[in-house]
Amino acid sequence: MASVAAWLPFARAAAIGWVPLAKHPLPPPPFRIPTDGTSSSTGGDRRCDEKIIINVSGRRFECWRSTLEKYPDSLLGSNEKEFFYDEDTREYFFDRDPDVFRIILNFYRTGKLHYPKHECIAAYDEELAFFGILPDIIGDCCYEDYRDRKRENNERLIDDRLHEDDDKAQPKPQSVRETMWRAFENPQVSTMASVFYYVTGFFIAVSVCANVLDTVSCGTDPDTGYSRTCGERFSRQFFCLDTACVMIFTVEYFLRLYAAPDRLKFIRSVMSVIDVVAIMPYYIGLFMHQKGEVSGAFVTLRVFRVFRIFKFSRHSQGLRVLGYTLKSCASELGFLLFSLTMAIIIFATVMYYAEKSVVHTKFTSIPAAFWYTIVTMTTLGYGDIVPKTWAGKIVGGVCSLSGVLVIALPVPVIVSNFSRIYHQSQRADKMKAQRKARLSRIRLARNATSNAFIAAKRRHEQYRDDPNSPVDKNLVNPFELQHHHLLRCLELTTDREFVEMGPDALMSSGGTSIVPGGHTSTGIGRLGSPARHFMLNRRKWRCCGFGRKKKNLYKHDTDRANNKNPNINDDEIDEELGDFQRPISSTPRDSLSKNHPVSTTNVIQHQSPPLLLQHNVVLHSNMYESPKSIGNRSEVDVPISQDDNNQLKHQRNNLMTVYEHSSANDFLADDSQILKPPKDVVDIIEEGTNDDKQTV
Amino acid sequence: MGNNVALNTKYDGNSDYDDAAVTDNSRSYRPCSLDELVARTKFDKKEIQVIYQGFKQECPSENNLGIVNEQTFKNIFGQFFPFGDTSKYAHLIFSTFDLRSSGIVTFEDFLIGLSTLCRGTIEDRLKWVFKLYDTKKTGRLTKDDFHVIVCAVYSLLDNISNHYNDYITIQEHTATVFQKFDKLHQGYITIEDFIKICTQDPIIVQSIEALRGAI
Repeated sequence: MASVAAWLPFARAAAIGWVPLAKHPLPPPPFRIPTDGTSSSTGGDRRCDEKIIINVSGRRFECWRSTLEKYPDSLLGSNEKEFFYDEDTREYFFDRDPDVFRIILNFYRTGKLHYPKHECIAAYDEELAFFGILPDIIGDCCYEDYRDRKRENNERLIDDRLHEDDDKAQPKPQSVRETMWRAFENPQVSTMASVFYYVTGFFIAVSVCANVLDTVSCGTDPDTGYSRTCGERFSRQFFCLDTACVMIFTVEYFLRLYAAPDRLKFIRSVMSVIDVVAIMPYYIGLFMHQKGEVSGAFVTLRVFRVFRIFKFSRHSQGLRVLGYTLKSCASELGFLLFSLTMAIIIFATVMYYAEKSVVHTKFTSIPAAFWYTIVTMTTLGYGDIVPKTWAGKIVGGVCSLSGVLVIALPVPVIVSNFSRIYHQSQRADKMKAQRKARLSRIRLARNATSNAFIAAKRRHEQYRDDPNSPVDKNLVNPFELQHHHLLRCLELTTDREFVEMGPDALMSSGGTSIVPGGHTSTGIGRLGSPARHFMLNRRKWRCCGFGRKKKNLYKHDTDRANNKNPNINDDEIDEELGDFQRPISSTPRDSLSKNHPVSTTNVIQHQSPPLLLQHNVVLHSNMYESPKSIGNRSEVDVPISQDDNNQLKHQRNNLMTVYEHSSANDFLADDSQILKPPKDVVDIIEEGTNDDKQTV
Repeated sequence: MGNNVALNTKYDGNSDYDDAAVTDNSRSYRPCSLDELVARTKFDKKEIQVIYQGFKQECPSENNLGIVNEQTFKNIFGQFFPFGDTSKYAHLIFSTFDLRSSGIVTFEDFLIGLSTLCRGTIEDRLKWVFKLYDTKKTGRLTKDDFHVIVCAVYSLLDNISNHYNDYITIQEHTATVFQKFDKLHQGYITIEDFIKICTQDPIIVQSIEALRGAI
């Protein structure tokens, strides 16, 4: 019931019934009361309620002002809406989603906030937050749905963040121990880790196979004439194999134990228990072998060797998922077990009494009948024990029918659980794969914008130097102009220069990140100084570096100028270089080289809010180049071919549209996104950052 | 009184509308024309429009028959007096508004009631109050009637059923008020007495004026 205000006059009028009972005189009313004669004029008291027009992205909504004022805590109910008032059209304009606004306005009208099922939960939440409405007041009809969607979304976000953290460049492990632990947990981290992973996997397989083949019959024993197993025949070889495997497992276990950050926790974890159970029988066997008597226990111990197969669960995601599913379906499994037990007992009892009269019956006792019941309920039907009386047969029939039912009931729950968990893990893997592609797109867009600025600057300078040359005016828009002006101001403020980034340069978020720059030799776009130089270096890389695996693109910054070892070599060229287009700049410009000698580079990333385009820019300090770089420069004086020129122009056009088109914001709006190089680069990057040197 | 409600179907005053509404959605009540209402009440057109818009919005959505039932009244009062038990008072008010004792309040009934309360003379209002008190429609008010109304008013404050002290208070209050009105110690009060005594009491008159509300 929303319109409480509408009923207030009624309530006040009804209160007249209290008057004769009142012990004290009632106070005068808070407002001026009209007398009867002037009722018509003051009938307009409520008419001061006017109609408000709200224009939401072109769709006009109209309502009474009093409708909106029902909820003074929200944007529309308070004075905050005055900020959106448009004097010319005399309406309130909001640049938001009209579909969701419809629901919000209905809330004002009816007092119930609904949640439409087809809306994305994040978008809906945003709109609610904008209009200052708390989601808690969603009506009962829609609240369940809203909560479920919200929970799913949160899980997804947490999932993503978890995986992001995984992907994120971990801080360099401080010690050998941490390195080892990371290697163990994450085999893709380094080659050593992968090697270790595969080796242990191999030995697990070998061990399991040995255990299996151990029991295959392998010819007859020359002494006794009985057939003997391979294990007996080649006992020495099997023993050696077993020893080797167990040694490897032991070493692995102790390494893990050493590397574990929390040893107690590690010891209590499932995998560790499995490891221990896998290797203990061997050692126990060693000791007992010396005694030699207790062969029964010895044999039992060998059974435990089969647990080695569980070590595969470190290697197999699916196995882990299965295990996790079973754990999470514990209650369903428990129910299954319980109901089965009940049914078994019931049927076994009945069968026993039914078959009691049969001579030489196999149903000698109720526990003996258990076996029959189990075999029948699971529809196995071995046939080793069958009822002979009619009653028994009837009961047997009922037993098998009910068995099907009882077993079929909890199974779908388990299956659906498994499916959900499995799909979650699949999704995580898929997202990892997609992330790479997404990152490269983001990179491209970011570099495009910075290159756009550089290009604009060059054009401007070109125009300035040669007023007669045609300037392509149609590529400039006001936003860009202002943006460029701002960047120019920044340049002049800090006495540094922006240079172009190659499309392959990777940035990390926040703080300074490093960029190719500085000494040239064969390095990746290290310098920015003459555009030609820069670009031409790229050419060189293209011919040298094409097809190489992407390695380190992060270089340390300031000390480059001080003639540190330019350890960048051709190996570190990005394979993707060949894929990306050339840098923006179209013509080599000698004037530029005169104006902006640079040597070292600093990159500062601007993280502007998602509404603005983010871009990476590279700042260079105006220091003179080292002689080395100058010397190298001469090597690479290759003119640009016409093709490249055209390609670059084309590129520039494309990137202009990137600049204008705010869909670039899609790429750039992930605040949490960090441009991440693939994992094998991470180590190198970190080492590069921290140690002022680069390694492959 | 003439009933000008235009009905799609004939309705029986004693029928249970809640059930009927569920099964038969073709019944709906449209009030008679605006002009008629203007003639019958003391409101003008614009006011009636405003009142109707609010009224229509409050019709129970599952019926949406253009009427309100007692539960709705109870809810409405519940919004204004959130701490108390509004059912008793709502019942009384409802019965008073319900001019035909039909169990429902149509818009006309509602409007007429409001008109009396907001725009009527003192006498009209006092007559209305008398009707409010006279639940059994005997034309006379007894002490029991007063007890009922006092209980109802007190229960608006708080749920009184648990408080013995409040019960005593009510008894006393009832006695006091009844004594005030029953000057002749007849044991009952007629409408003329009631109006006379009320109009002669300046406090009451002033209080009635205080509750005049603008629409």
